[in-house]
Amino acid sequence: MMSASHTPEETKIALHEVVTEMYDKIVKGEPPTMTLPVRTKNNIGFDKSLGVYKYGKKRSIRDATSLGSAKQLLRALYVVEFIEEMINTNKSSTLREMYYISESWGLGKFSSQNESNNLAEDLEVVTKCLREDFKLRPEEDGARMIGNITLQERNRRGEWMRINARDDVGDSGYGVPYNVEEEKIELLEHDVKFIMAIETGGMFDRLIENGFDEAYNCALVHLKGQPARSTRRILKRMSEEWDLPVVVFLDGDPWSFRIFASIAYGAIKTAHISEYLATPTATYLGITSDDIEAYDLPSDDLSSRDVDALKAELSDPRFADAWWQEQINMMLELGKKAEQQSLAKYGLDFVTDTYLPEKLNDLGLA
Amino acid sequence: MAGTAERMAKNQKQVAISEFFEKNKHFLGFDSLTRSLITAVKEAVDNSLDACEEARILPEIRVQINKIDDKKNIIELKTEDNGPGIPKRSIEKVFGQLLFGSRFHAIRQSRGQQGIGITGVVMYSQLTTGRKTHVRSKIATETSAATVDIGLDTRKNKATKTNEGRELWERPDGTLKEHGLEITCRMKAKYQRGRQSVYQYLRMTSIVNPHADITFVDPDGEVHHWPRVTERLPRKVESIKPHPHGIHLGTLQRMCTESTDSRMTSFLYKNFSGVSSRAAKQLLEAAGVLEKAKPKSMKPDQIRALLEAFQGERLLNDKAVKLLNPPTNCLSPIEELLIKKGLSKTIDSRFVTTMTRSPTVSQGNPYQVEVGLIFGDGMAADKPVEVLRFANRVPLMYQQGGCLLTKAIESVDWRQYGMDQAGGRGVPKGPAAILVHLASTNVQFTSEAKEALAENGEVMDEVRKAMLEMGRGLRKHLEKKKKMVKVQEKFELVNDIIPAIAEKSAAILQRPVPDLAGSITRIMGAVIAESTTTWNKETKMVDIAIKLFNYTSRARAYTLLASWPESAGASMENNTTGGRKEATGVWAWKLETLDPGETYTITYALNGLEKGDWTETDVFYRGSQEVIGASKMDEKLLEEIRRQEAREQGEEEESGEEEVSLEDTEENDAPPEIADDQPKPSGQQTLMGFGSDA
Repeated sequence: MMSASHTPEETKIALHEVVTEMYDKIVKGEPPTMTLPVRTKNNIGFDKSLGVYKYGKKRSIRDATSLGSAKQLLRALYVVEFIEEMINTNKSSTLREMYYISESWGLGKFSSQNESNNLAEDLEVVTKCLREDFKLRPEEDGARMIGNITLQERNRRGEWMRINARDDVGDSGYGVPYNVEEEKIELLEHDVKFIMAIETGGMFDRLIENGFDEAYNCALVHLKGQPARSTRRILKRMSEEWDLPVVVFLDGDPWSFRIFASIAYGAIKTAHISEYLATPTATYLGITSDDIEAYDLPSDDLSSRDVDALKAELSDPRFADAWWQEQINMMLELGKKAEQQSLAKYGLDFVTDTYLPEKLNDLGLA
Repeated sequence: MAGTAERMAKNQKQVAISEFFEKNKHFLGFDSLTRSLITAVKEAVDNSLDACEEARILPEIRVQINKIDDKKNIIELKTEDNGPGIPKRSIEKVFGQLLFGSRFHAIRQSRGQQGIGITGVVMYSQLTTGRKTHVRSKIATETSAATVDIGLDTRKNKATKTNEGRELWERPDGTLKEHGLEITCRMKAKYQRGRQSVYQYLRMTSIVNPHADITFVDPDGEVHHWPRVTERLPRKVESIKPHPHGIHLGTLQRMCTESTDSRMTSFLYKNFSGVSSRAAKQLLEAAGVLEKAKPKSMKPDQIRALLEAFQGERLLNDKAVKLLNPPTNCLSPIEELLIKKGLSKTIDSRFVTTMTRSPTVSQGNPYQVEVGLIFGDGMAADKPVEVLRFANRVPLMYQQGGCLLTKAIESVDWRQYGMDQAGGRGVPKGPAAILVHLASTNVQFTSEAKEALAENGEVMDEVRKAMLEMGRGLRKHLEKKKKMVKVQEKFELVNDIIPAIAEKSAAILQRPVPDLAGSITRIMGAVIAESTTTWNKETKMVDIAIKLFNYTSRARAYTLLASWPESAGASMENNTTGGRKEATGVWAWKLETLDPGETYTITYALNGLEKGDWTETDVFYRGSQEVIGASKMDEKLLEEIRRQEAREQGEEEESGEEEVSLEDTEENDAPPEIADDQPKPSGQQTLMGFGSDA
């Protein structure tokens, strides 16, 4: 079983390597530095053995010859110290809490939350550890799940709790915690044929009300827009450990394409841990560009930002295959986008009685 | 029949005067309720400033506006000055005669060229509220003040006096006022804030009248005070005789008819400036007029011929008759330092540059251009700069777009000086205000409204030249500021951040704190100069410290040089490093070799300056390795400065002699000590890049 986690000792050693790079440079009479991969779409490539997109070989060196990057190095040191302290005292904090704690770091103080989030990611990338190893929690909460699947979660008292995500939960489903690694969650058993990830809460609730999960024997996962890491991680684990297909049901717009790419191929910002987060077998169910025409869906005109996003996707290596190129070009030609809830044009049951069965049939899942 | 005709004539006259006012109120400045109030304030304040100047009194002016009836827009305006006052018997003449003061024919620089005077205010008040204007006047030789209500008899174009009396004029503190004038009137008018307001008018007035102390109480009771920043009164302006190049046919005709001279030669010599007795003879010869001809009996075509000779259209021996330029000492510029102080008083900002061009002549009229630019954080960065226009120390507030002064600003490509300007045309954008002042014996306006200066290629050129020089000063300042920020960052980097990285990393790894010298040398790899210029409240001196840091791996030797306001009369104190004078305003210190990691500090103080006179010190160096924070001494430029100095010294000696000879021959009623403490207008200083950044 592959695991993303590192032990506290491994984490500390990895962090100390970052510090040692700076220290040794000063000893040598050179400006201190921090070496890290370039994190843009120009430096991600397909890793055949893992089946996901990972950072390439491009490295950038952040050195302390300008005030801005020197401050970044100093902040990194403060963050390392802070993480070590948390590991030693068995505490954790949110990224936002760390941002506020930095108020007392003097010259190492963050000037924005974005800065502290980025630095945490930098350290992950350099050390190959996860922010969970750093005891840093994201602000965003994880997804909701409903369906006949059973897992156990270790609660605050350290006891394992067995939960069935259909029988032991209310209408809002099972809330996925921020840490879904094995020390926290174990997947026990299931009786479903596939997992469906859904972008909007409205559609998630519609499918539950219409009893779709039971009728089609599946588990539903609410992504809440751009899915949090834990959401992507649990999708990955269910897909891999239970060998279940994952289908993704999103709005039909350029941003949904990106959500899908982050689920299936890996996100650019987290390409260092794509193999833990991405589910290469996931399939895009809809709304596709051709659905807009085929179902004559109520649509909106593409904004200039939408058009720019689509154009950027055309040169994104993750969308390099023929099917995606066709979908993106088609949307550009139509100049339209449609929300998943626009299916309600044909009534509340249309999505569960007609649209999804037709789509799933194509995939051999209905 | 005769009676009817007379009555009709009388009626006509009565109609004429009130109708004249009604018909012409746009150019008299009474065309809107807001403008009427500004005009009224303007007439009163201009009179006060002129009177104080004439009487050599430092003006204290107070303007108060009260709303009497908000719905009907009735406003009470009260203005008070500490001028000489008006003798009781003259009050009615000053306030009651619509047309016009004697100054209409005098050729000199005066504020009163604009508007129709205080009589217009009296008339406007009477026409709009039916109220008379209350005047209180105290002259020094009488113990009590005269009070009177002045109205206008539009029938007779004469003032009416009522409620004449006398009273003791007490100041709020109970003491008696020595002299001064107070005017109270009620008019239909509207008080408004903004660019065209009484507030703005007074603010602008205080900028160009730094010797005045102005207080304004607005209708909300808020008190605005612009204090006096100099005790020096403007130079007393002399009237000059007309110059042949600037005269019109009608005027020449009138001058001939009114002349009592017996010969044309003496008529020309005596009544015109720039005409020597030799030139007078040559002009007459060119015009074909006899020298002994009597001015009174000149014929129209003779006068026309003379005018043509004046303008060089009739030649003598194929050449135009050479005339001397009119004297330019009749002008009273504000002068660079005072503009600077005036601007700094109303706008809080760090960078001010000003310049006064040398006086020059256009079409027989002497004129002089002065400009100022203030730049800094206190002003909006994304709006067009504030344009402050003045003619003979009077603010111009309307018709900005149509004014020569604005057009000159718009014709400069300000982008090259670091300001935003769409397409390199128009009023630039940025946190700045630009001041332009035209002083002239004959200010040409586009219209009778007297709010915009008329096109004149020569004046335009002068203003442009001044703008370009100021722009260069601004660019230098901005570049220096940018460099300073970079240097500051480097200092923060090596003094704070790198040591912190060393300590923190050592603490995390539990190892000893490493030595930083190597890293710092690698990061900086430079020699850095840092200078501070600060006003010392206790010693009343400007303290200056120049630090030189050697952050390179080799020993370095330099000579440092610094600019200082030597010509403004400052003296250097507590200069422990010694050094020597390189040129006027440039001091040099030859420093001993500085080893890697070493720092040397030069300190000194400047005495004899006021706060704000000197806020930035330029540092230069001689040496092979670049010094960040200082400029390499331009030896050619230094040489040029020395040559310039030598020239100016020569000129000063010459002009000094001239002054003496002038005083010997002519009567001069200006006290000599006032003339003496006028520094020479020094447009050259800015060109050399010294002294203008103060």
